[in-house]
Order: sequence, then C-alpha cells, then structure tokens
Amino acid sequence: MPLLRLPRSRRDLHAIIPVDLLVNFTLRDLRSKYKRSALGWTWSVLNPLVAVVVYSAVFSVFLRIQPTVGDPSGLHSYAVFLLVTLLPWQFHVTSLTESTRAITANAPLITKIYFPRWVLPTSSVLARFLTLLVEMAVLLILIAVLQGHIAFQWIPVVLVLMLLQLLFTIGLALMISAVNVYFRDVQHFLGVALAPWMFLTPILYPLNMVPADREFLGIGYRTLYQLNPMVSWAKAYRNVLYDLRFPSLERWLAIVAATAVVLALGFRVFNRLEPRMAEEV
Amino acid sequence: MAPSPDSAVLLDGLGKRFRLTHDRNWTLKATVLAGHRTRYEEFWALRGIDLDIPHGSTFGIIGGNGSGKSTLLKMLAGILRPDEGAATVNGRLSALLELGAGFHPELTGRENVYLNGAILGFTSKEIRRRFDDIVGFAELDRFIDEPVRNYSSGMYVRLGFSVAIHVEPEILLVDEVLAVGDHTFQKRCLDRFAQLKAEGRTIILVSHDLDMVGWLCEQTAWIQQGTLRAVGPSPNVIERFLDGAGDSPTPVAPSPSAPRRFGGLGPDDLVRAVDLVDANGHPMDRVGSGRPVRFRVRVDADQVGEPVTVALGLYRADGTHVASINSGAAARAADEAGTVEVDYAVDSLAVQPGIYELSVALHDATMRRVFERHTHLVRFEVEPTGVDQQNGLVALGGTWSARSVDR
Repeated sequence: MPLLRLPRSRRDLHAIIPVDLLVNFTLRDLRSKYKRSALGWTWSVLNPLVAVVVYSAVFSVFLRIQPTVGDPSGLHSYAVFLLVTLLPWQFHVTSLTESTRAITANAPLITKIYFPRWVLPTSSVLARFLTLLVEMAVLLILIAVLQGHIAFQWIPVVLVLMLLQLLFTIGLALMISAVNVYFRDVQHFLGVALAPWMFLTPILYPLNMVPADREFLGIGYRTLYQLNPMVSWAKAYRNVLYDLRFPSLERWLAIVAATAVVLALGFRVFNRLEPRMAEEV
Repeated sequence: MAPSPDSAVLLDGLGKRFRLTHDRNWTLKATVLAGHRTRYEEFWALRGIDLDIPHGSTFGIIGGNGSGKSTLLKMLAGILRPDEGAATVNGRLSALLELGAGFHPELTGRENVYLNGAILGFTSKEIRRRFDDIVGFAELDRFIDEPVRNYSSGMYVRLGFSVAIHVEPEILLVDEVLAVGDHTFQKRCLDRFAQLKAEGRTIILVSHDLDMVGWLCEQTAWIQQGTLRAVGPSPNVIERFLDGAGDSPTPVAPSPSAPRRFGGLGPDDLVRAVDLVDANGHPMDRVGSGRPVRFRVRVDADQVGEPVTVALGLYRADGTHVASINSGAAARAADEAGTVEVDYAVDSLAVQPGIYELSVALHDATMRRVFERHTHLVRFEVEPTGVDQQNGLVALGGTWSARSVDR
C-alpha cells in the first residue's frame, strides 16, 4: 500500500492511518510499562532528575563548563541549559532503543494476525512521546518560575519542534525496527552508537565550544559537527526555551529537510522489508 | 480458473516458497563478507493451488501434518505474502489462527478486548457497542477487570474466541482452535458457527478432525505435500483422504485388493484387537447377509485414562462408504480399568454379499479429538444367504409372495 497518498474521505483516512490501532497499541505500551513495579510512573520522573544531578555535578562543577547566557532571556543556569536539550535527547534515545525490538518482540502477534506492521514501531515512539509532553510541561513551569512569568508565546513553537522531532524519530524507528528483524546486530549497534552520538550533540556543552578554526581533511570541525541532524534540534530547542528567541531560518530548513528525508526513507525501507517479516521474525 | 462474482476467496496458482537457512546465526558481518551469495535453500511449501470458495459456504481444508494447510491459511489472512499466483479475498476477513494472540498478559481483560478488537480492524466505538456481548459470550463478567495473566487457559481462549467472532467477519478463517476449551464451550462455538453459517457468512475451517469437517463443511479440499490432491463435497474428499493417505504424511498407494486381515495394529496402539464374533462370543470371519453379528473392539483402557468413544466405519472393498456408527455415551471404554471390550451388536447385517472392510477410530468423549484411527483394519466376507437374485448396496431382507388378483 502506498503510504504517502492523500486521503479522500474520513473512511479513507482510517484505511491509511489506522487511528484506533495506533491509539490502542500506544495505550498498551503506556499501561504495561510500569505494571508490577512499586514506584511505577515515578521512574519516568526519577530518570531525568538523576541525569540532571549527575551531569550538572560532572560537567558544571567538576569540568566547569559554562552555560551560555540566554539572549535575550538572561537565563544563566546549567540545569535549565542542560534540561532543554536533555529531555528531547532522552526521548530520542529511549524511543529508538524501545522501537528497535517493536517487531521482533511482537513476533507471536505478527505470525498470527495481519495488521499494518508499521503501527508497532510508531506506537512505541508515540507512547514515549506522551511522556516527553509531560516532562516538557514540567520544564516550562520551571522556566516560568525562574523567569517570573510564563512565556506563552513560545509554547506553539516548542510544540511544532516536538512534532517535527516525533516524525523524525518515527522515520528512524521504522528503519531500525525493520532491519532488526533481519539483522539483530542493529540493537547492539544502537547500544554502541547512542553514547558517542550524545557527546557529539551540544547537550552537555554549548555549540560554540566546538572549535571553528580547526580542520579535518580540509573541512572545518564545526561544519562536520553540524552534519549531525540532532545538532539542529538541540540548537533550536535551546533557542526557544533557554534564549527565548525564534530559531534562524536555516535551522528550520535543516530540521524540516532532515524530517522529510528520514520519514520518507523510513517508510520506504519498512515497506520493502515488510512482506517477509512474518517468516523472518 | 474463471473469476466468479460469488467468490469469497479465489486462489489462482497460489504458491509459497520458504527459505531454509543452514546457518541461523547469519549476521550483518557475514552478509557483508558473503556479498550476495545466498546461504539458504529454497523449497515450495505450497504450489499451484487453485480454489474457488463461494460466498456463504463452509469450506474445510484437510491434510496431514506439514502438508501446507496452515501456510495456505496464513496467506489468506495476509500474514504471509504469496511468491506465486494470487489470492483474492472479497469481504472482511477475520482469522482465528490462535485465540488471544494479541493479548498482553499485564493488561486487564477489558483493555485486551479493545486492543484485540483494534488489531482485528475494529474501531473503539464499534467495540464499545459490542463489549457486553463479547464479555457475556466469554462468561467473564466477574473477571473482566483482572489482568489476563491471572486467567486460566480456558478463560483466555474464551475471551479470544469471543472477540474474534464478534467482529462480524464476512469470511472467518479457523485453524484447529476448537481443540481447546471445555465441552460446553466447544458446543457453543459450534452453535455460533452454525449461526454465522445461517447468516450467510463464509467459514473456512482447517482441521485434523475429519468428523467435524464432515459435519460442518459442505466442500472440502485435501492438501498433501503442498499440492491440492482433491476438492469437492466433503464426504467424497474425506473418504479419498482416508483411503489414500490416512494420517501418515506420505501418501500410501491405495490397494483395496491386498489382504489386510486383522493386521495393522502395533504393540502400542490403544485398540488391541477388532473381531467379528457371534452371539456366543465365538470369532467368525464371514457373516451371512442379513444375519446377526457383533463387532468387538478391545481397548487398552489403562493407557487412555479418560472416557473414549469408539467409532466404526463400514466400507465396501471398492471404497464405497456403507455406514459409520459411533458409540456415543453408550459404551465408553475406560470407565473401567484394564482392557475393555466394546461390542456393537447388529441384529441383521443388511448388506449385499461381498468383501467389506471395517475402520475403527477412538475419540475422546466429546468426539472432537481423535486418539487413533485405523482405516480398513479388518476385512471380511459377507456371504449370500438366500437364493434371491440381488444387487446394489443393502440387503433389504424382504420376502416375496405372489397371489392371484383375478376374481
């Protein structure tokens, strides 16, 4: 089924995007996640909290990394500086690690019932996205307290950024969950790749600490560094939530382009690999 | 095969190829190093299947283990993609390949009903409307808000079945699912099938249980080693299946003339012996047409350990099915201990003289599970007893008389 075709009616829309199936799988992931754990949902709050404390201690206190001063917000707090990029990054990491096994872990289902398979990695990302929404709401309150007023006008901008990141992550999740059916190496590779990826994204330090005057094979460090699409998101999130400033047009273009390419590629790869999934899984 | 507008399912030269990977640990590295050289063997699990299953029919698919029945069903359900030919399905299809396959153990019954309904293509609104019916049919009202991991396997299966049949499929695929659940539930499932059938829905049933296929399905297809061996009215196909292959995966050449008297029983078989005896229990190897006879089946009751039903099938040497009888609740072996003799006494064996063969099967008490099936186990002769000129199948046992009507 060609996926990127426009729906002509409400019924048509349901045939292309099985909304109820997505909702039910997302709810399944959310509901089952903390079943039979004493702390339950507290874990999803504890996780970023511990990360902020540890990273702040190591990078701000021990290594003395100075956060930039928010312009024009005037904010100067390593914790906020860190959180505005760390929360989206943690969404990125957990979405990918959880969705890698979205197909393989549901093998009994896939070999017994037919339904559009792309719903599985997608709903796994969606479930994690709902957690991000709550986390970001808490962060906005924290920023409002530090600022003394709520910056309502930035909320829609953050939401657009988050939505684009969601689509980007779904594209990646489709790719890796499908390839993981055939090569289980993917899940191991991901475990190895995500840590360096984080350090090569301006989360723990400002982008201007990456040297602009040094070159590698005739290409500037900064240019190479910016090939990482997550740099654009980190920078944009920091612009909106820390500096309280609209990201530059180039930033937006880079983000939209990366999202479109990865999402299209994700569906392409997934559709190519889908037919034999039930046999290989 | 000409496409017909009445077809619920139309298969045209359907084939499915599987890969046998010899080295299961193939990794990215191995693939990169090996380039495009394939390290697997291919085999056709199913090939050249042409079938036309009309709307509103009940269709059985039989065949031995590994014959390709389940592969066929999975292709109909859209789980597997055919490698050859095409399968056209007209109408909403629901597949009962494994009951409760979509259940998540940590979620409650209620949550799982919605989830499973969505997987089967229902919107949440549609499920909400049928929710009470689903729970009612599964008889789980009290437990619906419990996590399904606390369910017994019977409860699990009942809920799965209930969701699947309430999605109101136009075409229902059923794979051997009735082998589970207790007797009363099985009865209700069969009632529900009958109801769906009466509503004009199409049911496609894959089963090892020939009695159920024969009872429920008008048409049956027999698949053997990935090819279609026979298709047609159920009794004919089942008979050919029993003659040709029995339960063995490789076809046995039918040889009705070969003497197989009292043979074919292994030391581990539950059926110990089958004899023809007279009223005093003396064995006989020929019976007079229209004369009394007892068919005596000796069953190792200790080994079964549960009530069994004995079924007898009488065939003419040319394979014509004469009669089938089962003991029902009347003579259940294994209510006793040791070896049990089950007798079927016939006052008058009303068949024409000739050579006959007897098949014996042992079922559980519900007739849904077959323990053993011995086809054409005993061969015996029916002798002529009168001077009448007779022909055909049955011996009517009538008397002739003549008198004058001229007054």
